[in-house]
Amino acid sequence: MMNNSFWAVHMVLLLCCAAGFACMAISMLRHQEDIFGKELSASATRLLRLAGWLLLAAALLVAVSAMGWSFGLTAYSGHTSAAAGGVFLALLTYERCKQMRANK
Amino acid sequence: MTQVMPDATTPANKTFAKKTIKAKAVKRRGIRQTMSDLHIWTGLLVGWLLYAMFLTGTVAYFKEEMTRYMMPELAAASPPPAAQTAQRVLDQIRVKAPEATQVSITLPTERKPFVSAFWVQPSPQGNRFTNGTFDAHTGDALQTRATRGGEFFFRLHFNFHYIPVIWGRWIAGLCAMFMLVAIISGVITHKKIFVDFFTFRWGKGQRAWLDAHAGLSVLGLPFHFMITWSGLITLMFLYMPFGLQALPDAADRNAVTSEIRFFVPPGKPAGQAAPLLPVGPLVEQAEVRWGEGGVGAIQVTNPGDASAQVYVVRQQAHRVSTTPQYVMFDGVSGELAKVKDGSGPAAETQGVLYGLHLGRFADVVTRWLYFLVSLGGTAMVATGLVLWTVKRRAKLPVPAKPYFGFRLVERFNIAAIAGLSVAMTSYFWFNRLLPLDLAGRAAWEVNGFFMAWAAALVWALVRPAKRAWVELFWLAAILLAGLPVLNVLTTDRHLFASLRDGDWVFAGFDLTMLVFAAVHACLAIRTARHKPRAKPVSRKPRAAPSGQQPGPGTGAPTASLTKGENAEAATKPSTESRLPMDVARAFTGERS
Repeated sequence: MMNNSFWAVHMVLLLCCAAGFACMAISMLRHQEDIFGKELSASATRLLRLAGWLLLAAALLVAVSAMGWSFGLTAYSGHTSAAAGGVFLALLTYERCKQMRANK
Repeated sequence: MTQVMPDATTPANKTFAKKTIKAKAVKRRGIRQTMSDLHIWTGLLVGWLLYAMFLTGTVAYFKEEMTRYMMPELAAASPPPAAQTAQRVLDQIRVKAPEATQVSITLPTERKPFVSAFWVQPSPQGNRFTNGTFDAHTGDALQTRATRGGEFFFRLHFNFHYIPVIWGRWIAGLCAMFMLVAIISGVITHKKIFVDFFTFRWGKGQRAWLDAHAGLSVLGLPFHFMITWSGLITLMFLYMPFGLQALPDAADRNAVTSEIRFFVPPGKPAGQAAPLLPVGPLVEQAEVRWGEGGVGAIQVTNPGDASAQVYVVRQQAHRVSTTPQYVMFDGVSGELAKVKDGSGPAAETQGVLYGLHLGRFADVVTRWLYFLVSLGGTAMVATGLVLWTVKRRAKLPVPAKPYFGFRLVERFNIAAIAGLSVAMTSYFWFNRLLPLDLAGRAAWEVNGFFMAWAAALVWALVRPAKRAWVELFWLAAILLAGLPVLNVLTTDRHLFASLRDGDWVFAGFDLTMLVFAAVHACLAIRTARHKPRAKPVSRKPRAAPSGQQPGPGTGAPTASLTKGENAEAATKPSTESRLPMDVARAFTGERS
């Protein structure tokens, strides 16, 4: 169980979920304002949202095919929560750094 | 309500206006407001117990690892073949208790490298149960320091302590039910669950607390809902026994129970002696069925009697559901008598929920995810508790003299949150420091935990609130950081050795303690460093406990202050009175 493919599956899961949630966050107008200072075009926003959903779906597929339904779904649930938390913290840190630079 | 609308001059119009205002007021208390109140009060009422249940339950995901850390004498080694271990330990127990009618042996795993067992001996007073732990390699009784290890936190999180187990479980069930209500009402209250998904408004005091609370809740929502609901399901036959009670006799009830978990009471002995077959080959037969490492436990009933039966039970950690899977052999002929490889859909549903709650199937990554998300849930409860004081702090009628309920919540928050960190770490300190031959050593580790917690409560009650937070956070940080140091002094499995040997249980534990120490130190520094925007009023009222009058003027608390300070005090509450807000800012990083 603890061979290389074990770690690879978990890495892929976490990265897919994190990328998916990052796309989701950037597809939200509020965060576009924060990051780019302007809203992205409607088509770019749609594309980002689609990419987000696709990445999350891909992660689900990887989880279930590599670990089976029961273990896969549980691991997937954990990875989505952890990845969303990671994106949340990343946005927070980014904002914070920008604010501190602005204050200087 | 006293506002008069421009056209409300004639009596008829007046009543109309009154009605519309009334209707508006009623409308304003819509479903969200009601749900918000429900959320706040259900949360507060059981918040402290929930916090303790959440945190001790969270660490219990590593209960086997904690137990190993607390038994440093027990060398890390892969367990020997299951057939050998089962036979050795069974022989030992049969020598110790030849008249035992039932022997149950839980085999070692990679996570738990020793054997635990219990056996039942008939006596005139009824059946007598004895527990024992055994060395997996020799089969002898385990020679380690007496400790309850991680099992203590696991039991504490639904049984509590010093009270009958059944009471504890009823209290835990009540807390879980309140938690379920708080989760559902919280989701309804939270207007913009998707819009605010990634939002955190930094440095906005109460807003930031609310965002932190909502963020922690929403990110782990699937887990929080699952863990609360499944927690209730694990004890559903205690809370709702009516279905089982409706069954006419004990045999029927046993039949239901044995569909849900492995539960096979010994039948009547035949009264005719017959030698028990060696169990090793039976275990090997089962391993062919389930694969290597597939056997989790064995149970032998009526050994030495013609009616002897050997049950070989499948390893729990290899599947999510906790429903029983086993094979049963005739203990004299060795004939395969029964194969149980599934239960009905109702039992299986319960089994999956139970299994999801326990997470015993989780591999190391999934286990850490369980731990982290559950830790997020713990922080969710903590931010909720602090939020209660932060919100009310701003609206206090006399900020320098909060009402009793406020002070109570404030102090209990300190003891429940900062105090529990101190108490839990103390438990590990007692494990290392109590004399090895102390009578009742395992119980004294537990008593030590509660003494530390009680001391933290007393400290939280007598010190000014802000200082109590800071001091207890510092104490927790020092104790946490001290554990790896203590490990160097009292064992030879300290961080340097464990890193060198790749002993990841010990290295992981020590490193995790250092991370938690850093977290507590950050909390302490930020809480201490934060200054309210107002200039501190004067030393004297600051030093007084927040419950006391800051100045001599009873009617007007600020009467004794100079004019300038008076104005300041009128707009800004004194340092002392703004404490939880300080803590709030410290958490969220706001600086003045």
